[in-house]
Amino acid sequence: MDAFLNSLASGLIVGSLYAIMAMGLTILYGVSHVFNFAHGHVAVVAAYLVWFAAVRLGLALPVGVAAALLVMVVLALATYWGAIRGLLRRSEWGFGTLLFTLGLAILAEYALLELFGPRVKSVPAVLPGSVRLWFGRLALNDLFLITASVVLMVLVGAFLKRTLTGQAMRAVAQSLPGAQVVGIDIDRIYGATFIFAFVMTGLSGVLLGTKTYMTPHIGWEWMIKGFVIVAFGGLGSVPGAIVAAFLLGVVEALVTLYLGAIWIWPAWLVTFIVALWLRPQGILGGRST
Amino acid sequence: MSVLEVSDLAKRFGSLEALRGVSFAVEEGEVFGIAGPNGAGKSVLFACIAGFYRPSSGSIRLDGEEIVGLGPHQICHRGLVRTFQTPALFHSLSIRENVLIGARFGGAKEDRVEDILRFLDLERVAERRAVNLDLFTTKRVVLAAALATGCRVLLLDEPMAGFSFGEVERYLDLVAEIRRTCGVTILIIEHLLDVLIGVSDRMMILHHGQVLFSGPPDEVRRHQGVVDVYLGGGTGG
Repeated sequence: MDAFLNSLASGLIVGSLYAIMAMGLTILYGVSHVFNFAHGHVAVVAAYLVWFAAVRLGLALPVGVAAALLVMVVLALATYWGAIRGLLRRSEWGFGTLLFTLGLAILAEYALLELFGPRVKSVPAVLPGSVRLWFGRLALNDLFLITASVVLMVLVGAFLKRTLTGQAMRAVAQSLPGAQVVGIDIDRIYGATFIFAFVMTGLSGVLLGTKTYMTPHIGWEWMIKGFVIVAFGGLGSVPGAIVAAFLLGVVEALVTLYLGAIWIWPAWLVTFIVALWLRPQGILGGRST
Repeated sequence: MSVLEVSDLAKRFGSLEALRGVSFAVEEGEVFGIAGPNGAGKSVLFACIAGFYRPSSGSIRLDGEEIVGLGPHQICHRGLVRTFQTPALFHSLSIRENVLIGARFGGAKEDRVEDILRFLDLERVAERRAVNLDLFTTKRVVLAAALATGCRVLLLDEPMAGFSFGEVERYLDLVAEIRRTCGVTILIIEHLLDVLIGVSDRMMILHHGQVLFSGPPDEVRRHQGVVDVYLGGGTGG
């Protein structure tokens, strides 16, 4: 029973991290209809930057995180204003943005490989040590991760509902022409959405980096997981992505416990296929942001 | 003084000429009716004026200033807003929030919102989500969001499509009231010719992207070209 509860706790922690990771992806898709195939690599780049700042340069972790997020902002602006904005004005924008983001992912992967080498790395834990609970020991870092994830989800909800930019993002997601005619500047909102998505994705990468080992190639795995979560939850739906992330996190933990880690990917894909067979629009499909 | 001047406007999509040499001017406070057969270029004209399409050539002046090349949000900030045949609402937001979005991003004052909701009789339903509303309420929400931007020129694209006779009457009353109390200049595309003749100060009929008729509403039915291409044997709209 303790092993089951331990796995469940682990599944919820990983699920909360997947939820944060998928948020950037689903909001970006919901607002701009651009599916960022470099999403996993954006997360890895941020995690590697924090590792570099904290381990190589010996800087305090918060300084490393702040620097990495600043780089995410610059990357987001460069990606939107330097490439995506132009591609969205073309008739084959869907294919164009797909190829561009895939190219960006490959570029990021090999840049990391060149700069940091192929050896596995991890971001230092925020809180070392553990605490004893009734079902077993829980790492303090895991407690931090789930707390940080929940706080981030609440903050994102408040941002989308309460701020002017958040409201504009929701308006654009629901009716692009309707938003334009009431004075919303689409370029500014798309730019803000890219910043939001890159920062969220970067943060999720840093948090995941404290829990799992990273290599320059792990971005593909994170990208596929992000894609499955977003499609499973319903394209563009934030609540759907959160539910799907927790579900898949728990499935992953229980499959690891009872069948072994080798069955994680088949379990993800079977859950995904069965879910879409029963509900093709995803868990909460049709509800944007 | 003309609030909106369109000169020699053309819009081509490849080899298709959607608009050719369209020129007209709309005076301040006027209701300007636009009609024409399907495919005449009416909605393309609105899309060009509101900044959704860049014209192939020609000029569009709002208050004497050229607006060709500006985006829809910039044109909105200059006081011109359009509506769509298919209402563009924000479904996850309440009716009040839909109108607030218009005020916040259109650059107008938010304290106007309550007045606009009251004016369009939306106060009682203001907290409802803007989804699954009846058509008349939907069109009033669209109108409210447009007015909340503080616009001075309003382009209504077939606003009464799908209305019952009673709803058409009520909508026309609203248009007259908006014009009287808000001083808004209104351009309106409508297929119901009788309705358009009744509400407009001046009218324009488009055909194959060109101006077929421009003048007082009471002359429309006597214009031979309009009778030939639009009214046919009958006189109804």
